[in-house]
Amino acid sequence: MGRSDAGWNGNSSLKQEVIVMAVGKKNISAPPYVEGHELELEDFENKTITYVEDYPDIRYQFTAGQAISRFLRGLKEGKILATKCSKCRRVMVPPRTFCELCFKPADEWVEVKDTGTVETFSISYIDPDAKPLDEPEIVAVISIDGASPKMGILHKLGEVEPDRVYIGMKVKAVWKPESEREGMITDIKYWKPLEVE
Amino acid sequence: MVFNEKIVNPAELRHVEGKIELYWVYTSGEAGDVFFKKLRDEGKFTASKCRKCGHVFFPPRIYCEFDFSETEYVEVSGEGCILAFSVVMYDPDGNRLENPEIYALIGMEGTDGKMIHLLGEIDPENIEIGMKVKPVLRPQDQREGKITDILYFKPVS
Repeated sequence: MGRSDAGWNGNSSLKQEVIVMAVGKKNISAPPYVEGHELELEDFENKTITYVEDYPDIRYQFTAGQAISRFLRGLKEGKILATKCSKCRRVMVPPRTFCELCFKPADEWVEVKDTGTVETFSISYIDPDAKPLDEPEIVAVISIDGASPKMGILHKLGEVEPDRVYIGMKVKAVWKPESEREGMITDIKYWKPLEVE
Repeated sequence: MVFNEKIVNPAELRHVEGKIELYWVYTSGEAGDVFFKKLRDEGKFTASKCRKCGHVFFPPRIYCEFDFSETEYVEVSGEGCILAFSVVMYDPDGNRLENPEIYALIGMEGTDGKMIHLLGEIDPENIEIGMKVKPVLRPQDQREGKITDILYFKPVS
């Protein structure tokens, strides 16, 4: 089993080595520390150790809310929808029901373009399980044309080499075919450079 | 559209369903392993006694937490007395149970330790604090080295 006998079995002899430990102001003699047991997969398969296991069934349902629901329905139709505050005239993407600066309800829906500018980006070489990816993925924050400055979304870039991406690059959305769209942010496959090299 | 108009039909709201995959294993540890194997193979209970101060730990511990001395495993009867109990009328989802479950804190005979487990073969109104109880185990071929190998404790009569 690959275990070391640390002498904790009641029948085996006491280990002679005694460590003196200072606890508070008293010196208390302590037994040698137990060496850890390395556990192998076989220990679990052959049940040479006792254990309990469980698969907790954790489910969730995330509701998008009023504004984002309409935004996602817009994506299904191939439109990027935004809300506008009549007081500060901001056009907000992703849309929200309230203007958080004026603290008043937003009062108009507007359609914005499916082009934008890369504000910042990151190149990811690993997947969520930290496994290397064959092709690196480029994620970017894109501010959308037609919306107020610095208003935008986080999405992927495509059809571009990682070393060709720069901040300020103009990009355009590449949509899924209309039949495959399902009202999710993934209805936009990725954003590709607008300029022709 | 003014946002004072609310969406009244919830079906118009987008929602996403998901499941979080989780799996965990909790090993019994050095002394827990001894306890559960003895319970599984021989149906006997193990405690551990400090070689210096004589405190008897149940569940067993590999060292004494009062003076850090070594302990030795001792066999105990598994019988005990009820120190406290609670009658559970609802399941974890809040549905009423057909047969209420009784959980009790049981002081184990011959040890300084206690354990929480189910009581059986007794009606809640007949339970008394201090009542002596003994364990009822699963048949040997069904035991798997878990705390559920003890089905419940029943009164000694």
